[in-house]
Amino acid sequence: MKIFNSIQLNSSGPSCKNCVNFQNDPAFIETSYPGLNVMSSGYASARDQDGFCSYNQLYLSAKDSCDHFAKNKSEIKQKEGRNFQISFESL
Amino acid sequence: MTTNKTELTEKKETSGWQEFWSKEDWWAVWLGLGIVILAYGFYLAGSSISWIAVAPTKWSTWSELTKQFSTNGFRYLSLLGAFLIVFSIVISFIGQKPKKFIPSFIFVFILSTILYTLGNWDQASRYNLEPPLVALLLGLIISNVIGLPRWLDAGFRVEFYIKLGIVLLGATLPFTLIIWAGPVAILQASIVSLVTFLVIFFTARKLGLDHRLAAVLGAGGAVCGVSASIAVAGAVRAKKEHPPIAISLVVFWAIILIFALPLVSRTLHLPTGVAGAWIGTSEFADAAGLAAAQSYGGLAGSHLGISGTADQALASYTLIKVIGRDIWIGIWSFILALIAVTVWERKETNSKVQVGQIWWRFPKFVIGFLIASVLTTLIVHGNTLVDYNKLVKPALITPITSLRTWAFTFSFLSIGLTTRFRELANAGLKPFIAFTVGVIVNVILGYILSVLIFGHYWSTLVTH
Repeated sequence: MKIFNSIQLNSSGPSCKNCVNFQNDPAFIETSYPGLNVMSSGYASARDQDGFCSYNQLYLSAKDSCDHFAKNKSEIKQKEGRNFQISFESL
Repeated sequence: MTTNKTELTEKKETSGWQEFWSKEDWWAVWLGLGIVILAYGFYLAGSSISWIAVAPTKWSTWSELTKQFSTNGFRYLSLLGAFLIVFSIVISFIGQKPKKFIPSFIFVFILSTILYTLGNWDQASRYNLEPPLVALLLGLIISNVIGLPRWLDAGFRVEFYIKLGIVLLGATLPFTLIIWAGPVAILQASIVSLVTFLVIFFTARKLGLDHRLAAVLGAGGAVCGVSASIAVAGAVRAKKEHPPIAISLVVFWAIILIFALPLVSRTLHLPTGVAGAWIGTSEFADAAGLAAAQSYGGLAGSHLGISGTADQALASYTLIKVIGRDIWIGIWSFILALIAVTVWERKETNSKVQVGQIWWRFPKFVIGFLIASVLTTLIVHGNTLVDYNKLVKPALITPITSLRTWAFTFSFLSIGLTTRFRELANAGLKPFIAFTVGVIVNVILGYILSVLIFGHYWSTLVTH
């Protein structure tokens, strides 16, 4: 059944929220979509963590993913920091 | 949106426990329930929070008015101080700057005090000065004619104020009413939501619009306005330019209906409970509908031929809008996301549909509304009607009602102050036609269900 194959309980693998092309800051979303704060809010639960994908030009979920995933720099830096710490400790 | 801007803006990542202090919905729950618990604590100690929950009372002459403010001036300042402290904490946690919020909120508070006071003038109803509508009009004039600096927007948090007000409204509604009227509210709202969505969706498709835009428009008209549009846009992976189209159309029609629905209800002399149900069925956004329902409820007792109470209008509106429509947003998003993946054959992304979004997108303030209702029902339980009116109501319910009215007034004013018509995106003719057809069907079907089919039900709501 195609429908059941399309349902997932938990996300695994790279997701948009860690992608360099994804932006979901609520204040930024409110500024980008004039009128959003008139009768809703960037900080509402209904919006979850959705945001813009500058690569595909889509508004989508942070849990989404695609073949063009590119790791966010801050995430890479964090990981590099952790690696450095591990190698330092191992000395 | 530019790439530079994207890179400069800090990425916000909220997950798991963090949502409890990064979303306005949860803060409305914490504050609303906090107020109810505090009020109950004072009540148990033989006191009341009524000193801080000051509100203007009925007045007829200028001297009466000046006496009210000279006597209670310090209480108003204390209330402003309390709001500033609590709201600044909220603003800090969700990631905004209190430095911008504080002057903006003082501006909102001063205007709200004037509007609240105006609503208590004994001649206000004679001149049709219904506070919610006056607040909205004043806000619209200030933002569209006079103009305000952009940074002042920091204090115009329409959704946060309305959600806080709804949680406090829960504290003034018996839970038995929610149990009794909830199923009818869900049935009525579901019929209208499904029909409206399908009408907008298929009209949009007939006009050649994209599946996802049709779904975003349909959700906006059928479920809960802008919040539903933006939720479904994320769920179906809409094009970046789709949400602003729906936002413009929802805001445009919601503002028209704020004035039109109470006006038509008044012409037809609908009982307040019935009009509230109609507004709850046919308005789009929570704040817009509450402005219309509160405005119409305020006519009870002062306008000949309008039966019922102000509370009945608010109760029937909230039951239909919040219980009947808002809480289903996660289900709508999940189903439409599933259809988008399996039927519309999207190729830009390759992820699957996550069941979790039913909860992630759930409007959490509804939990606060229900808990507040259960709490006060338990507190009030065991009191006779005489005791309730003599002891419980003045010490516990009236101060909560005052704080609720403050929160609603901040919200109604903020709707006007944030609506800048020239900044709204140009929706285009086809989306406009599709959405407008949905609005017409929604209003007619909402009238049939609220007045002709379930009218007897909504006109006899017991709200105490």
